[in-house]
Amino acid sequence: MSYFNVEEKLEEYKERLNDSVDYSNRIYEKGEQKICMIFLKSIIDQELLSNAIFLPLQTYEDDLSIDILKNKIIKCSEVKDIEEDKVINEILNGRVVIFTNFSDKIIAVDLFKFPTRVPTEPPTSPVIQGPREGFVEDLQTNITLIRRRLKTDNLVIKSLEIGTETKNKVIMCFLKDVANDKLVKDVYKKLKNIKINGVVDSYYILSFLEERPDSLFKQIGGAEKPDIVVSKILEGKVAIIVDNSPIVLTVPFIILEDLQNSNDYYTNHHYSSLVRIMRLMGLLIAILSPGAYLALQIYHYNILPLNFLITIADTTLGLPFTPFLEIIFIFLLFQILYEVSLRLPSYLGLATSVVGALILGDTGIKAGLISPPGVIIVALSKISLYTIPEQASQITVLQVIFIILGGSLGVMGVVAGLIYMVNYLNKIDSYGTPYLAPYSPRIPSDLKDALITSAPTQMDKLPKSFSPKKSKKVEVKDEK
Amino acid sequence: MKNKISMRQAGIIILILVFSNKILLLPALMFDFVKGDAVISLIIMLALEFISLPILLKLKSKFPEEHLFDILQKYLSKAVAIIIYMVFLFYMMIKAILTFSIVYVYFKEQIYQEEFVAIALITFLPIMNHAAISGLKPIARTMELFSVVILTGFLFCLGIAVYTPLSIPDFFVASAGKIFSSVYKFAFPFGDFIFLFMIVDKIDYKKEQEKRLYFYTILSFILVITLFTLFYAKYELTSFMHNDALADLLAYSVRFNAIGRLDVIAIVTLLLSTIFQMEIFCYAFCDGVLKIFPLMDKWYAALIFDLLFLLLYYLVIGNYEVIVDATVKYFAPFGIFANFVFPLIVWIISRVKGRKNATS
Repeated sequence: MSYFNVEEKLEEYKERLNDSVDYSNRIYEKGEQKICMIFLKSIIDQELLSNAIFLPLQTYEDDLSIDILKNKIIKCSEVKDIEEDKVINEILNGRVVIFTNFSDKIIAVDLFKFPTRVPTEPPTSPVIQGPREGFVEDLQTNITLIRRRLKTDNLVIKSLEIGTETKNKVIMCFLKDVANDKLVKDVYKKLKNIKINGVVDSYYILSFLEERPDSLFKQIGGAEKPDIVVSKILEGKVAIIVDNSPIVLTVPFIILEDLQNSNDYYTNHHYSSLVRIMRLMGLLIAILSPGAYLALQIYHYNILPLNFLITIADTTLGLPFTPFLEIIFIFLLFQILYEVSLRLPSYLGLATSVVGALILGDTGIKAGLISPPGVIIVALSKISLYTIPEQASQITVLQVIFIILGGSLGVMGVVAGLIYMVNYLNKIDSYGTPYLAPYSPRIPSDLKDALITSAPTQMDKLPKSFSPKKSKKVEVKDEK
Repeated sequence: MKNKISMRQAGIIILILVFSNKILLLPALMFDFVKGDAVISLIIMLALEFISLPILLKLKSKFPEEHLFDILQKYLSKAVAIIIYMVFLFYMMIKAILTFSIVYVYFKEQIYQEEFVAIALITFLPIMNHAAISGLKPIARTMELFSVVILTGFLFCLGIAVYTPLSIPDFFVASAGKIFSSVYKFAFPFGDFIFLFMIVDKIDYKKEQEKRLYFYTILSFILVITLFTLFYAKYELTSFMHNDALADLLAYSVRFNAIGRLDVIAIVTLLLSTIFQMEIFCYAFCDGVLKIFPLMDKWYAALIFDLLFLLLYYLVIGNYEVIVDATVKYFAPFGIFANFVFPLIVWIISRVKGRKNATS
């Protein structure tokens, strides 16, 4: 009895896969028994194909059955039965699909292989001390990197498929005895409800996970290093790994996370506290300094110390621009140089920086177009921006807003803008966690790992901000 | 708890509200009336205001989830509740205008040095509206975050004042009648607990945290009394000439003024606390309007606040001397109502509820 007409199947799937150049098939015949294999040679391990399927088939001499094929002949870790409607999907996921004319079952053998890079230190998160491994584009490698650090049966790794065209695997990782059930449920629900044709990178699903997708402020954490992600999972967060992306997302997210750095945990905690305070100051300088300088220069010059006022008066005398336009002009100059240096090859980028920073800046001042204090203020704010590189794009937008506020309303506008911003941030809850926690609202127990950090021995509790299931990191069992 | 503020946040709201209308002009005005005994008047008024706190907590324990308007409606009829709320709305509006006017004059003289009404209104009104529309939780959280800055600034101003020559102010100069007359006359800037009564349903009450509310109330009272005392000790008989008490505490300190203009700290402290006070007044006004007209959208409530604010500020009141004069001459009864009469009404309601519970 013939179950599948294998020749017809080959033609059917060749057509359905648009006769692609990497489409491949093989028919193995043994007497009247025919075995047909369909696969895409671009995404399978061809050496494994010949060693795990062809060679054993050729050496097997008895009658073939589908169970023998599955259990005795094919030497591969993942062999499974599939429905016919899943055939295309399985082929696209790097599996060899096998039809036979002696069974109505279809088998899929996992021989997926594509070029991956070795985990290296990510360029965005370099460390002085501590692990240097970074995530890569391969999902399995990324799971391995996490699994290697979390050797516990509490680790849950759940899989979903997102993207009607790309059909990306998206993985949720969390500790079942720590992560809040509601958080896990909410994240799963949000992921499940994502309707998108393609997920090219994890950032494609970012706004679907955010509670306020139209907001300027980022509400989802992202990390390229497994040690960072694992430490977040240990705190009770959920990590989301997307296939083909080296950036792993974590929820919930609080703004304090961007003031923290993995380096902080590998150095003395007193030094870490100092560095975190510096980062906060950097953040404030980056956002407020151009706006505040403008406010002082235009409206409140009487507040400035006399010597500084004389310097400003001396250097701005004869400038063709008003103070507001001058700052906008310098800001634009810096932003253009930044964008150019980002996109040009590194050897040209360096040259552009030199031309921009030295020649344009210096000549601009000498030509009397811009003033040295203006350049210093904008440069200071632009440099300070990179104390928190994760928020660079958001801070740039805020810089423009505060320049407009300071230039048009004075210091009152800057302070009001700051309060408006904090008010707005206080409205944001990331999966039930207040965005400005543990400072607003104040959560005393979480302050041990906030701006000022305590010694690791004192940080024995899990952060309350994320509503973990248990309160202590290690619950000591009574041994009586 | 969702949409509720903690006891600590309620305490911080009181702390910042107590500073409103009291730390700039009031010390000079009161000195002009009763000289150094203004401190005694102040203590009497704060002591009377303090009585509201246990009444508020009693009300909260009797009606844990009910809005003040609903409580008043239940026990005094809807018409009376609306009348009381209308008084509150007027009270909040005048408080907002008074705060704005006093601070406006201060900023005009100190940092803008020109008329900037449009700038000030463009700055204040949107931020007040945004806060009122966002709800109490974000306001309380923001106040909690900035309370450290405000308190530090306030303490800094008090601390610097200690480094200037001080003399003990003359107490018991005015007669008892005059002191009590001043209590009546300057009652309007007090009565800040009205706001806590209005948001009583939004406080996440915990019996064991009552002490936090007491702590912040007492702290704010101590700070205001200290400010009055230091101010009079510093300027003595010329105190009535200095309209910016908090900032003036920083003046004439040779040792510290060499650093630069230290009044910037007072400016920032005042600006921050004023913005929060205005947010609270606007929120309370909008919340009251929404209770009287339940079908109204909160955006419209904020719009009503803006229109009334602008109308009263430009047409009726005009400048700050008029509003200050009016609060002393005509609006004192509102202060008396907010500070003393209304807490008494609430206390009676709580007693009635207590008896009803006991009977049932």
